[in-house]
Amino acid sequence: MSDETKSCPTPSNAEPTATRSTVPMWVFSLTLVLLFLGFVYFDHHGGWFDERVYGPYASADQLDSYQPKSGAAAAIARGRKIYESNCGTCHGADGLGKPNQAPPLAGSEWVKAKGVQRLTHIPLMGIAGSITVESQTWNLQMAAMGAALPDADLAAVLTYIRSSWGNGMGEVTADDVKAARAAIGANPHPMSGDEMMKMPE
Amino acid sequence: MNDLSQQKIDASCRVPLLALFGGAALWLVVGLLLAVIASLTFHKPDMFADCPVLSYGHAQPAANDAILYGFCIPAALGVMLWIFARLSQTELVLPLVPIVAANIWHLGVFIGIVAILIGDSTGFAWLEFPRGSSVLLFAAFLLVAISAVATFGQRKERELYPSHWFLLAALLWFPWIYATANLLIVSGHPVRGVTQAVIGWWFANNLIFVWLSLVGLGTAFYFLPKLAGRPLQSSYFALFAFWTLILFGTWCGIPQGAPVPAWLPALSTVASSLLIVPLIAIAVIVVKTVCGADVHCKGGPFCYIKFGSAAFLLSGLMLIASACPHFSRIVQFTWFGPAQEQLQILGFFAIIICGAVYELLPRIMDFELPFPKFVRFQHWCFMLGIVLLAGSLAIGGIEQGLKNYDLATTLPFLRASTTGLLFLLLGSLLFAANIFVMTLKWKLALIKSVIAAVTAPLEVSEVKP
Repeated sequence: MSDETKSCPTPSNAEPTATRSTVPMWVFSLTLVLLFLGFVYFDHHGGWFDERVYGPYASADQLDSYQPKSGAAAAIARGRKIYESNCGTCHGADGLGKPNQAPPLAGSEWVKAKGVQRLTHIPLMGIAGSITVESQTWNLQMAAMGAALPDADLAAVLTYIRSSWGNGMGEVTADDVKAARAAIGANPHPMSGDEMMKMPE
Repeated sequence: MNDLSQQKIDASCRVPLLALFGGAALWLVVGLLLAVIASLTFHKPDMFADCPVLSYGHAQPAANDAILYGFCIPAALGVMLWIFARLSQTELVLPLVPIVAANIWHLGVFIGIVAILIGDSTGFAWLEFPRGSSVLLFAAFLLVAISAVATFGQRKERELYPSHWFLLAALLWFPWIYATANLLIVSGHPVRGVTQAVIGWWFANNLIFVWLSLVGLGTAFYFLPKLAGRPLQSSYFALFAFWTLILFGTWCGIPQGAPVPAWLPALSTVASSLLIVPLIAIAVIVVKTVCGADVHCKGGPFCYIKFGSAAFLLSGLMLIASACPHFSRIVQFTWFGPAQEQLQILGFFAIIICGAVYELLPRIMDFELPFPKFVRFQHWCFMLGIVLLAGSLAIGGIEQGLKNYDLATTLPFLRASTTGLLFLLLGSLLFAANIFVMTLKWKLALIKSVIAAVTAPLEVSEVKP
């Protein structure tokens, strides 16, 4: 202790001082990068302060998807899955369509029609030629994407489309699909919008 | 500033600091003794089967609280008072208040430790003391803070030194967290359910990590440049470290696997990983300040503070690691957490405070330490003890996590930790010996001077003809 005090070069009674050199930029950059990564982590794991979300789940949506469903909710949940694997590629998961690829389904007068006959025909036969959706004309081809689906599944997809994205329309039943299939018969051919307008709603 | 006024400043701190340090040294010995007793259970589980007072569930929390509340906080308060008086270049204001406070504090700790040992603990980690003794501790802390802040207000040098920020923040931080946690979970109307656990974790982290870091770093930033004989590098870096430490540090502490809504542990993990920023800043400050200093510490206070700073960085890295999702899956609920706590409390904080006490004690007493060689011995004991204790618990914790909580693999590490505690106990005895012999010498000198004054022959001039 005593010899240690002696070896001190400055008088030990002097109070310490501090230099004024600035903090280098890389420290601030590192802080900002870490803050950014931290928020990304929180976005993925934090459940956005929802008190129902516990680890290892990450969001309220994820929890909802694991809940068992019944009745109309079950059909819609099933329809959503089928929609995302069959229709969503072109029409978009948000139903807004894609420019030069597929018209929107959200708010479309074809979807929001009172009857479901025209709507049911589209996936069963496909479309060729022009079709007007929300006063915009689309000149596209659509294959009969729904022809291979079982009646119940196609009904679930159409129900999902009609009830989502603010469309707010009612259910399409498996019987509706069955009736449409029967009307089309064994030899389906794609129709244009004008041809379809001749069909009753 | 001339030496005479420095002596006056130091002398004004003498009695309050002795009151704080004397009790603190005693509690350090008692705490480590209790820790050794608790640790003996690892060697012979039924050793205290017929003696509930010393059983593991009583001795372990009593040991932790005796070390933290008995030693760390009062000793740190003493060091803080001296640093405030020195940096302000004024004598200690209201010196009687900390003397009273020291006695209230140590009384509170005594009641608390006895209550824990007889089984009257509240059951919350770091809040085991019963209500009465918490009130005493809170009041005593406020009293010391009043004296410290009054001294700060009288300062002659208006510009603040980095240690000021850390220590003033600590003076505000403890009453805030201690009152909040006690009112919310120990009071008559505690919050219910999982909120209790969340507040418990929040308090433990704010006390063990934030508060100890603020005081330990404030002390280190005062003594490192003083002992190295060169200025702190730099003031702005310290400011950056200060703000990032309190900004990020206060959010940590919720374990990954906690049964609480996911946003709590997620936020805690984010905050913990951001702690790397203050750790880097502190490492830069310490390295730049210490390296290039032409001072050999020779086991003296400089060594203590350097070792403590290194231990702080390591304990910070352990805290970040245990919040990391992949690593925490292995080490959660293992001995890794206690290893980090012990490293923070004993390896970082206690050793810095001991170094500071050894540096300032000869100055306030105005005579050399009675056993200067003990300083070096204690340094070696503490270093060895901390490496053995924290090292074996940390490795044992990782093994425990990897081997699926298998007792047989963990037990040898727990037994090894007893050796570490024994070295620490030996070191604390050397510390207590220095403090008590010094106090005794001072008291004897005081008595001698009183006797001398009473028995002195009258001056000729005073004798009436």
